[in-house]
Amino acid sequence: VSAGPLIVCADDDEDILSLVAMRLAQAGYEVQKAEDGDSALAAIRSRRPVLVVLDVMMPRRGGLEVLAELRRDPELRDIKVIMLSARVQEPDVARGLAAGADAYLLKPFKFADLVDKVGELLAS
Amino acid sequence: VYFLLPPNAQSIFYVVIGLASVTSIYVGAVRNQEPGRRLAWYLFAVGLLTQVCGDAIFAFYEIHLNREPPSPGVADALYLSGYPLLVVGIFLVVQRLGRGVSRVAVLDTAVVFLGVALVQWVFFISRYNQAGIGSRWVRTVAMAYPAMDVLLLVGLAQLIVGRASRSTAYRLLLLSVALWIVADELYGLNPNAYVGGDWIDALWLGSYVTWAAAALHPSSVRIAVSDGHRIPRLTSPRLALLALALLTAPVILLAEQISGRGLHAYVLATGGGAIALIVLMRLAGLVQAVDGARASERLARRDAEHAQRLLAFQNEQLRELDQLKDEFVSSVSHELRTPLTSISGYAELLLEEEPSETKQGYLHVIERNSERLLALVSDILFAARLQDGRLKLDLTPVDLQTLIEHAVEEARPRAENAGVEIEVRIESAPTVSGEHGRLAQLLDNLVSNAIKFTPRGGKVAVDLRNDEGIARIEVSDTGIGIVPEDRDRLFERFFRSQAALEHEIQGTGLGLYISKAIVEAHGGRIGVSSTAQEGTTFIVELPAAT
Repeated sequence: VSAGPLIVCADDDEDILSLVAMRLAQAGYEVQKAEDGDSALAAIRSRRPVLVVLDVMMPRRGGLEVLAELRRDPELRDIKVIMLSARVQEPDVARGLAAGADAYLLKPFKFADLVDKVGELLAS
Repeated sequence: VYFLLPPNAQSIFYVVIGLASVTSIYVGAVRNQEPGRRLAWYLFAVGLLTQVCGDAIFAFYEIHLNREPPSPGVADALYLSGYPLLVVGIFLVVQRLGRGVSRVAVLDTAVVFLGVALVQWVFFISRYNQAGIGSRWVRTVAMAYPAMDVLLLVGLAQLIVGRASRSTAYRLLLLSVALWIVADELYGLNPNAYVGGDWIDALWLGSYVTWAAAALHPSSVRIAVSDGHRIPRLTSPRLALLALALLTAPVILLAEQISGRGLHAYVLATGGGAIALIVLMRLAGLVQAVDGARASERLARRDAEHAQRLLAFQNEQLRELDQLKDEFVSSVSHELRTPLTSISGYAELLLEEEPSETKQGYLHVIERNSERLLALVSDILFAARLQDGRLKLDLTPVDLQTLIEHAVEEARPRAENAGVEIEVRIESAPTVSGEHGRLAQLLDNLVSNAIKFTPRGGKVAVDLRNDEGIARIEVSDTGIGIVPEDRDRLFERFFRSQAALEHEIQGTGLGLYISKAIVEAHGGRIGVSSTAQEGTTFIVELPAAT
C-alpha cells in the first residue's frame, strides 16, 4: 500500500483499533497505532501526522487530555482530531467539541462514515 | 297475687318465693358459671337463704303463736348474718372486672362508704342510740340493720361504677340489690308502722325474683367481663358519685338545721372532713395521672421525631441508591457499545469479502442482532435518563408530513418482510415545534409496534391531520389488539402485554414508555383505543406551531 498522509489512531480496544487502522489503510492512508494516551502523544510528537483519531476513554491519559495537550502546543495545534466515544450523552459530545475536536463519532459507528469524515477534514 | 292472700298464706307464700329464689340462684350458679367463679353466687344463695330462714321464723311465730318473734333473737341473727355474705358476693363479681384493687377503686369505695354511713347514722342509726329504748342489746340489734344497709349500698355503688359491659344479668343484679336497699330503708324510716303484708313486702319479693332472674339469665355467664378500660377513668357516674358524697355532710347539716332537730355536729364534722380528705387524695391521683400522661406524650413525640429523622435519612439513602442504579445502568450501556462496534464492524468487513450466500445470511443475522442490541441499549439508557428527568428538548420547527413519510419509508422493508401493507394518509400537514430526533424516534416506535403486532396480510396506516391547532397523528393496525386489562398499564416502564408474551413478540417494554415521555415533553398527549383480535390505534396529539 502506498504511503499516503499519516494518521495516528489511538484506542485501548485492540479489535476496534485494528479495524480502524485497516479501514484507513484501505482508504490509502498510512496508519500509526497507539494503545493509550501517552504512546499516542509520543507518536504524534515524533511523526507529526495530519490527523489523529482518539478514543475518549483510554488508560494513561484519556482522549480529551491528549486533545488538550495538542491544542496547547503551537506546533501541534493544527492537526485535525476525530474523537471516538461510547459516551452518547450530549454533555460528552459538547465537551469533546469544546475541547477543540474537529469531529466526534459515537460508538458503534459505521466505518464508512469514519473514512468519509477523515476525507472531508483533510480536504478542508 | 300476694296481696290478695290471707295474712298466714302470705307469710307462707313469701317464704316459698324466697326458697324458690335461693334454689334458682344455686341452679343458675351451677349452670351458668364456671366452677371457679361460682363462689359469688353461692354467697348470694346462702345470704338470701338466711333471709328466708328469718322470714320462716317470722311466719312460724305469726301463724302458730300469733305474735312477732322475740327481738333480739335467732331471726335477727339470721337476717344480719346474710348481709355481709351478699356484700362479699357483690365485691367478688365487681372485682373480677378489674383484676386487683386499684388505689382509685379503694378511695372511691371509701368515699361512698363514708357518705352513705353518714346518712345512715344521722337519719337511721343514731335514733336507736339513746338510752330508754330497750336494753343495750336491743339497741345494738336495731342499729345493726341500718349499718348492714350501708354495706349493701356500698356494694350497689360498686356495681354502678363497675367497668362491666352491662349485660342483662348485670342489670338484674343491680336492680335486685337496689330494690332490697329501698325496701330496707323504707322499712327503717318507720319500723313501727310496718305490718306483715305491707306493700314494702313487694319490694323484697321483687328483689328475690330479680336476683333469681339474674342468676338464671344466660348473660350471667359473662356478667363479669371487663369493658376493656384498664384504668378506671373519671367517668360521669363516678364523678356524680364523688360529688354526691362530698355534698352529703353539708346537705345533712342543712336538713337538720331546717327540721330543727338536734345537730350531729361531731359526726358530721368528722365524716365530712374524712370525705373531703379522700376526695382530695383522689384529685391528687388524677393530677398525677395527667402529669404521667403528659410525660408519656412528650416521650411519644420524641419517638415520633426520631422516627421522622430516620425516615428522612432512609429516603436520602434510597435517593442515593437510585442514582447509583442509574449510573450503573448508564455505564453498563456504555460498556456494551464498545464490543458492539467490533461485532458490526467485523461482520461488515466479512460481508465485503463476498462470502457464499449461506455465510452472507449468517452475517446478516449477526448484523441484525447487533443492531437490535444497540437499539435495546439505547432504549435502556434513554429510559434511565427519563427517570432522571434529564430529557431536555432542542426545539426546532418540525414538518410532520416529511417526518412521517420518512419513518414509513424506513419501516417499509420490515413491513414487506412481515407481509403487512403500510400506507400514509395525510389530510393536512401541520408543523410542530419539537426535537426532530425525538419525534422520529416516537414515530419509529409506533410504526414498528404496529408492524410487529399485525399478522401477515394485515394493514398498518398512519394518518395525519390538523385539528384546530392540534396536530393529530394516528397509527392504526389490524393486529391482535390489546385486552382492556393491559390497556392501563401499557405505558409503564418494562410492561409487556399478555399478547406480546403469548405471541413471543420481541421487545423491551420500553418503547411506549419512551413514546409517552417524548409526547409529554412536547406538551402533547398519547392515547390508545383497541379491540382485541381486531386492531389497535395509537393517537398522538401535539400542539401545532402557529
